Amino acid sequence: MNTHEEFRELLEAYALGSLDSADRALLEAHLASGCAECAKALEEARWLVSQLAYLAPNAEPSDILKGRLLQTVRAEAGGDSPQQQAFHTTAVPWWLWAGVAALLLFSGYSAWNEQRLRRTVANLQQHAETQRAERKRLEGELSAAIAQAHEAMIWSDPKSKKIMLPPKDPKMPQLEAMWHPEMGLVVRGWKVPNPGGNRVLQLWLIPRAGGKPMPSMTFWPDANGKFSAMVENPPDTMSDTQALAITEEPVGGSPQPTSAPMWVGGVS
Amino acid sequence: MFLAVFSPKGNDEVSLDATLMQQLLRRDVSAFEELYERHSRIVYSLVLRILRQGSTAEEVVQDVFLQLWRNSSRYDISRPFVPWLLTLARNRALDHLRLKSERQRRREEQTEEFPQIASAAPEYEKALDEKRRAERVRALIGSLPSAQKKAIELAYFEGLSHSEIAAALNEPLGTVKSWIRNGLMRLKESLQATS
Repeated sequence: MNTHEEFRELLEAYALGSLDSADRALLEAHLASGCAECAKALEEARWLVSQLAYLAPNAEPSDILKGRLLQTVRAEAGGDSPQQQAFHTTAVPWWLWAGVAALLLFSGYSAWNEQRLRRTVANLQQHAETQRAERKRLEGELSAAIAQAHEAMIWSDPKSKKIMLPPKDPKMPQLEAMWHPEMGLVVRGWKVPNPGGNRVLQLWLIPRAGGKPMPSMTFWPDANGKFSAMVENPPDTMSDTQALAITEEPVGGSPQPTSAPMWVGGVS
Repeated sequence: MFLAVFSPKGNDEVSLDATLMQQLLRRDVSAFEELYERHSRIVYSLVLRILRQGSTAEEVVQDVFLQLWRNSSRYDISRPFVPWLLTLARNRALDHLRLKSERQRRREEQTEEFPQIASAAPEYEKALDEKRRAERVRALIGSLPSAQKKAIELAYFEGLSHSEIAAALNEPLGTVKSWIRNGLMRLKESLQATS
């Protein structure tokens, strides 16, 4: 076991770098244990060893070396060496940092404001969509109300002519129509079975002159078999029309009847 | 005359080195040039003594001073400058001497890129200026028996261990250890003496 004094005797050789590995390991373990006295003595030993440099015979480096060194140093001092860049980085003036901070704050505010505006626009778009849907609903109700009023006027006006449309099939209900010379033609019925499939009911105007039936509107009865179909501008005048007929046709209607009339009523 | 190359450097000179190192932090090229003028000769003398080849020695000296320039912020100005610079130069030169050898590994274990050196110079450092200290070192080591002087030179200039020196000189290991320690102790006493 080495004593403290024995370690002290190793310090100069340790500073010199000449200790063999075993002694060096022992001394380093002792120094690592926190011996302040040896640590201080080691600093002095390092200083003492550095003085041996004066044993070297005098020699002078060439002027070329000095020129080369100064050229490198001047280039780095005035150029963009990594060290200088780091130096410049640390020498950024406070007002530039303040500017950067202000820019960051402004960017943050802009981003927040943009999000806020986006949310506002989205809310407004949703509100506008709701308004559009509401307006469409009201327009639909208004149209229905107007149509109902229109139909009511046709049904009540003394100038209107009532037309009965008996069914060809006795099991089917009878339909009725009212034709006003200016306001148009209304056909209605109750307990009418739905044609089903892709078929609709289509109204035809049979000309008095014996020409081809003139196609008019198509319609469906509702779930209760009720319907009321209005033709504001019939394809022919009442006086030129001999009869009204209703057939079953494909959805979209047909230019001429494709099935036998289910209801026929004379206009005369 | 060897010692004629050293200009006297007292305490004022020491503080001048510290001032120049502070100026180096501000990338002051003129401060670097002055530091080079003041210390390049002893640094080159030391490195050339170790490497014994002028061109290689100049490469190492260039490396040392560029390290001084580029890493000046890592130097603690409260530490004595010249011993620190000389230790740095010695380490660099020995690294060139025996790359990846056992000696280099040992030095790497003991020293960082910038060498450890006394955080404060011993009190007796102030008793002598650099020129007189250099004279004392040469006189004291020159007065030792040639084998003892040789042992110290092998350790310092060639980086040999005790065992390697014993083998090189064909002397017992214990004798070599005593020679080196006693020689350094006598050097210390010589530098401590005020007269």
